[in-house]
Amino acid sequence: MSTRPVIGQRLKEFQQSEIDRILGACTKCGKCFEVCPMARYSKAPPTDGKAVVPGVLAVLRGEQGTPEALGWIAVCTRSGSCVPACPENVDPKMMMRLARMTALGGRGQPKQIDMKEDRDYFDRVRAFAKLQLTDEELKEWT
Amino acid sequence: MGERVTFWYGCNVLRHGDIIHACLDILRAIGFEASPVGGPDYCCGTVKDANQTTAGGMATRTVGKLNDRGARVVAWCPSCHSHMHVFMDKAHDRHFDMSYMVELVHANRDKLAPLLKNRVPMRVMLHKHVGFNELVPVNRMVPEILSLIPGVEVVDAGYAAPGYMCASFAGMPAALQDMHTDTVRAAKALGAEALVTTFHQCFREMVGLEAAGVMPVHNYIQLIAQSMGLPYEDEYKAWKRAPDEAMAMIGPERIAKVGVEFYERAILPELKKRPTLSK
Repeated sequence: MSTRPVIGQRLKEFQQSEIDRILGACTKCGKCFEVCPMARYSKAPPTDGKAVVPGVLAVLRGEQGTPEALGWIAVCTRSGSCVPACPENVDPKMMMRLARMTALGGRGQPKQIDMKEDRDYFDRVRAFAKLQLTDEELKEWT
Repeated sequence: MGERVTFWYGCNVLRHGDIIHACLDILRAIGFEASPVGGPDYCCGTVKDANQTTAGGMATRTVGKLNDRGARVVAWCPSCHSHMHVFMDKAHDRHFDMSYMVELVHANRDKLAPLLKNRVPMRVMLHKHVGFNELVPVNRMVPEILSLIPGVEVVDAGYAAPGYMCASFAGMPAALQDMHTDTVRAAKALGAEALVTTFHQCFREMVGLEAAGVMPVHNYIQLIAQSMGLPYEDEYKAWKRAPDEAMAMIGPERIAKVGVEFYERAILPELKKRPTLSK
């Protein structure tokens, strides 16, 4: 049997432990949604926090999220305004980040939201490096 | 000899060679023996939300490479710094201390102040975000650093944009437009002559405001560099201000390194992009 470590395994285990903690701690009060400065940019119909948060938790469980939850997840920009608003110290910023990773299909579940992928992202970074650094700097710094 | 540190500059700041070079000069001038690393081979993996296997592999690799350097890491990029604290060091044991560039410069203000010899007469407003400020209080520290520069006056409207930096608004043009509009409105109401950004990601977005003739935009490091008399030119801004002439400014030798086709397809559209403001 192979003893090679599975790529990204420790990160995935940490993420799962955080999901378990969040699912156990969240009371679905909705205060995180109510204080979010980005919620108004969601493409989903307006609603209240108590209606949205259960859909976010469903995504974390690997289930289909509601349109309201997916709309909110898609516009999260990690403002962190939700963190002090949470009465249970759930860390809703972490909740939303993990929900985003999950909804994007990043944790192995089916993709539920789309993200425009920039296929040139790293090539563009490398190109700017060639424009801005000397050959010697490129060799030693990157 | 000063403390040896690894200056982990990140990926996207490679658009701004002047910022990277100035940071190194500043670190060395305040007593650190700084050696830089960055680019895709040192990526934190935060851009890989849609593939956590890749993100985990990148985190493991980069933490391992930084461990091998055996020195404190000074991060420039807020995404890298944040991602290290939230996810990366859960993927791989971290054996180095970390500081964010702003907090290291702020902690060494006594060494920096005597180096700020040139006047930079400018009334500026700091473009602030919420989010990262809870990890490192940059919204307080950067104005305190800027106030050391002779001639700089920092005004504060109390406005902080949502999101932890402008780049987090990618794909949300309405939100980006609101944020730029609110920022410019606040700056003009206070009589600010220029906007100053903490993060390079915001500078990249907002320098389009200068290119569009709305108001000048600088990164805080550029003002420190100006006051210290460092010689670096902000080429990205020059290209952004005149995108149709950028290829000539870059010159055929450097264009050949990236290829004309790639330049025209992947770089020129970014140089031409301008922010839109609400009426």
